[in-house]
This record gives sequence, structure tokens and C-alpha cells, in this order.
Amino acid sequence: MIEIKDLHKSYKMGSNVLHVLKGINFKVEEGELVAIMGSSGSGKSTLLNILGMLDGADSGEYTLDGVPIKNLSETKAAQYRNKFLGFIFQSFNLINYKSALENVALPLYYQKVPRKERQEKAMKYLERVGLKPWADHLPSELSGGQKQRVAIARAMAAEPKVLLADEPTGALDSTTSYEVMDLIQKINDDGNTILVVTHEEDIAHMCKRIVHLKDGVIVEDKKVEQVRAEQYV
Amino acid sequence: MFDRDVWQEIFNTLKTNKLRTFLTGFSVGWAIFILVMLLASVNGMENGFVGQFNDDATNSIFVRPGTTSKAYGGFEEGRRIQLKNDDVEYIKRSFPEDVEYISARYYTNTTARYKDETGSYSVQGTHPDHQAIEKTLVVAGRYINEADLINKAKVAVIGRKVAEDLFKDEDPLGKFVEFNGLPFRVIGIFTDDGDDNAERRIYAPISTYQRIYGNTNNINMIALTYNPSYDLSTSLEFSSRLEDLMKRRHKIDPEDQSGLYVFNYAEAFDNISSFTAVLKGIGIGVGFLILIAGIVGIGNIMVFTIKERTKEIGVRKALGARPSQIINLVLLESVFITSISGFIGLLFAWMILAAIGPTIETPAFSNPSVSLSVVVTATIVLIVAGVLAGLLPAMKAANVKPIVALSDK
Repeated sequence: MIEIKDLHKSYKMGSNVLHVLKGINFKVEEGELVAIMGSSGSGKSTLLNILGMLDGADSGEYTLDGVPIKNLSETKAAQYRNKFLGFIFQSFNLINYKSALENVALPLYYQKVPRKERQEKAMKYLERVGLKPWADHLPSELSGGQKQRVAIARAMAAEPKVLLADEPTGALDSTTSYEVMDLIQKINDDGNTILVVTHEEDIAHMCKRIVHLKDGVIVEDKKVEQVRAEQYV
Repeated sequence: MFDRDVWQEIFNTLKTNKLRTFLTGFSVGWAIFILVMLLASVNGMENGFVGQFNDDATNSIFVRPGTTSKAYGGFEEGRRIQLKNDDVEYIKRSFPEDVEYISARYYTNTTARYKDETGSYSVQGTHPDHQAIEKTLVVAGRYINEADLINKAKVAVIGRKVAEDLFKDEDPLGKFVEFNGLPFRVIGIFTDDGDDNAERRIYAPISTYQRIYGNTNNINMIALTYNPSYDLSTSLEFSSRLEDLMKRRHKIDPEDQSGLYVFNYAEAFDNISSFTAVLKGIGIGVGFLILIAGIVGIGNIMVFTIKERTKEIGVRKALGARPSQIINLVLLESVFITSISGFIGLLFAWMILAAIGPTIETPAFSNPSVSLSVVVTATIVLIVAGVLAGLLPAMKAANVKPIVALSDK
């Protein structure tokens, strides 16, 4: 599903050049649930940004579902993001003046899905994350866990190939974190490929594979016994 | 463009920033208000000027005789030039393509009497064409016709004031009025837009008066209109040809300024229209400068809106919004504010003009108003202004890097 070969990325910080990713080789199969771990500055967010086409690599190859991702125009990148990827952010990033339903429907709007169909589909995904009764509520009327579940529904609404989650539990207390992880596990059980960036060990162990990043290289890549989050909920 | 989601977003941003939207909208509305008022004022001045000259056909030329100031062709200077009936025929024959209407004028004064009422009036002996040249409005009866001219009929077309003075409540048509003791039948009554004095005038067939006053062929002046399709330069060229020809005919030095006067109305009109054109230019210029201030205001609000919404735009881009869709959103919002506030300004200006415009009626300023073309132009200007105001902020928004916008750190 995802294939990365010898990926390099550096940032210019004034006169210094900060080499963030120093040759990453990495492969994700369909249906995997991968945790990307590392301390801050290890390059995990940069890797996720490149995977999410939010940032470009300096050198190396990146293939997503057989499509080479290289030298994309803004418009093309937008199309690919819309078609291939679903984002889940640490701070949810819901649009505050749109109801939960409209937030979920937004990626479908950019796919030019007709309004009625859009709403039906969005409602279906809201139901899946258990928030159907809150469809007409604004994000400000929802709890943190509920907001993240809306964001997950939104990421799934466009039926992307891969879900990218950047510290999805970073802003949540542990109980709510497990609820969210439970949801992510269930989505993965349905066959969706998911990448989770986290620095929390317990969250990482709820995935099926852990990739450790340190100073811009992968230091460890292991399959783990998945801890089901259900038992903590 | 007519997308519910786009409008929902626009209304939301406007709603959350009510005061800011109002203040910037006000600047554009005010600018349009001033622009329209300025243009209407220029229009009012133009109306005033044109009204003063509108008494006569605007394509008219008057030929008056004078006294020569130079010796020429064997004649001494100081010779009085006398125009005659032949001159009218001569001009008609010489310029069949150019002349539209032509009439001589023969001026006299008369003491008119009907029953017990008497009054002193000026009489103009004219040809039938004179009606069109002077734009005489016959409100009852008819004007002088060819038959009157040939028969040297004692008929008269009297001004409204004359009719009021002499006939009081009676209907003058068909009644006989005495001019210096000779009975003339009233065949028509006219009014004149120009002034009341023109309505104290009497028209009679020129042939009749020439016979009464000594069987003469003399005339006082010639009035004519030229082909109305002529533009200014053609008309000036025609009046100079006419002047040359008449001077040659009457043996006047071509350089002699006082032997013969040929006055072309177009010259006076040309001066007025260039004057009002300059005024209009100044009005538009000032209006646009004020409008620019408004546009900058709108641009300012859009820049702030986008700064506030950087994160949201980043999220949208991450969700697959194309740059063009972002630009579209910002431009539409800017065009929307500009258009709405501009229209309110336009509406206010229009209402004020409609309310007080028609009551303003002075010689130099009358009925200030805006034409449809001004409204259409203002609308186009507003939309263009909205696009201009939104363009930079929109590009800025489109260039928002989702990665920067989304960084939580």
C-alpha cells in the first residue's frame, strides 16, 4: 500500500541545515495498523507530513497504492489527498461553525458529491462512530473524545486508502484515549490501513506493528501482539 | 458559485465579524454614494446648460448682415449689407445636400388690438420651415403654410402670452385681430420652452409683411438647420463654406469680420459639452479615488479574515480542497461585501436624487439624476473592485501551507 525508499528531508534553519530524515525505507501492507514512535525531533511528524503529501521529500521514492507521489502540483496534491488519505489530528481541527454532520461531509464536498448523498454518507459514518444523535451539534458542544470521533468519521467519509493519525490521543485523558483507540482498532478490523504517530507506549502497543524512529532513521521495526483497547473502556 | 455551502461560509464569517463588516462595507457604500452624487451633479449642470440653449434646434445656423469694415471689389468700406429673398433661394439651391430647413426672418413691431385690448408685440415674418428651426410648439391651430405664403394671407400665429393678453378667456382661433389697423386671422397659438418673452411674439407669413411694408424683398436674417447627421467638424466646415459663398455673393472681403455674421450653434454647444465632459471626468476621478480607499478597506478585512482562518484553510486543504476552491471562496466573499454595500450606497443616492432631483430647477442646475448607464457602470465597477480587493488575500489563502497551518506546536 505504502512504499518508501531512501527518503531524505532537511530543513534550512537560518544558516544551518537540519537533516531530519536520513534515508527511510519503509513498507506498509494493506490492512496494517502501524504505530510510528519516537521522541520529539526524531522526524516522525515530518515522515507523516510527507506521507500525507503535506510536505515534499528532498530525495527518495514514495509510492502510494501503486501511484508514484512526486512533483505534485497543489491541485494534484489536493486531489490525491482527497482520494487516498484521511487525516486525524491531535487537536481535532474541526471547523467550529459547522455542525458535526457538515464537518464529516466536508471531504465529500471536495469530491463534488451531491449534497443529499453527502449528508446520507456523512450520517452513516457518524453512526459508525456512535455520534448519530449529535449530528446537528456544533464542535463546541461536544467533549474532546466526541470531537475526535467526529474527526475520525470525517477522515473515513471519503473512503480513503490510508488513515493518517497524528497523535490522535494527545489531547485526551486516558479513558477517552482508549475509547478512541478502540474505535481505531475496530476500523482497522474492517480492513482499513492506519498509521498512528504517537509517543505513548501503551497507545503504540494497541497497534499491530511499531516503527521506532530516532534521529531521522528507523532504529526498530517490529510486529507486536495487539493489546485490545476494549478491555480498558 | 450558487453553492449553499459556499454561501453558508460567507454568511458565517460576516456574522462573526458584524462590526468589521459593517465598517468596511460602509466605506465602499459611501464611496459609491459620493461617486453617484458627483455624476448626478454634473448631469444636473449639463441639464441646466443644455436647457438654456434648447430653445432652438441645436443644428441651426443664423446668417445676419452687417456693415463692411474693409473696401473690397470696388466698394468702399462702411457699406450696409442687405439680405433679400433671393439669398434664401440661393442658399437652398447651392447646398441642397446640407440644408434641412431654411427660413428668412423679417422683423417688425406692431400694435395689436382685439376688441378693447391692445398691446405692443414684435412680429416675425417667416417661412413655414421656421417652425422646425425655432422648435415652435403649436398648441392649437396650425403654423404658417406654403399656401399662406403664396397668397400673402393675413394670418398670424400668436404666442400664448399674446393670446392671454388680448383674448382673455375667449378662444382666439379664427378670430380677427388688428395689427396696426389691418385685420389678421389667428390660425394658431404656440408656446415656447425658452422663456415668457418668446411667447409675446407673433409669427406671420413673410410675404404678407414684405408687401405691407413697401413691397420689398428685404429680409433681416436667414435661419437654417443643416443635415442633423453632421458631426461637429462637418457642421463647422459647412458653415464656413456658407460664409464664403455669401461673402462672395455680396462682395465682402473674405477677411472682413463685420460684413456678414454666420453663427453656428454647434460652436457654442461644443464649448458646453467639452466643459461638462471635463467636469464629468473630474467627478469620476474623485469618485474613483474615494472608491480605492474603500477597496483597500475591504482588502484589509479579507487579509485579517484569512489570517484568522489560516488553520481552517489548512484543514480544508488537508481534506482535499484545491487552491482554486479556496480562491473562489475568498473572492466571492469580497465581491459579496463590496456589491451589497455598494448597492446600498447606490440605492441611497438614487433615493435622494429621486426625491429632491426634480424639485431643483435653476438656470445653471436642473434635475440632477443618474442614468441607467451610470448604474450599470457602477455595478461593474463594484464587482471588479470586489475582485481586486479579494485577489491578494485570496492568493495568500491559496498559498497557505497545510503543514504550517496544522502544526500544533
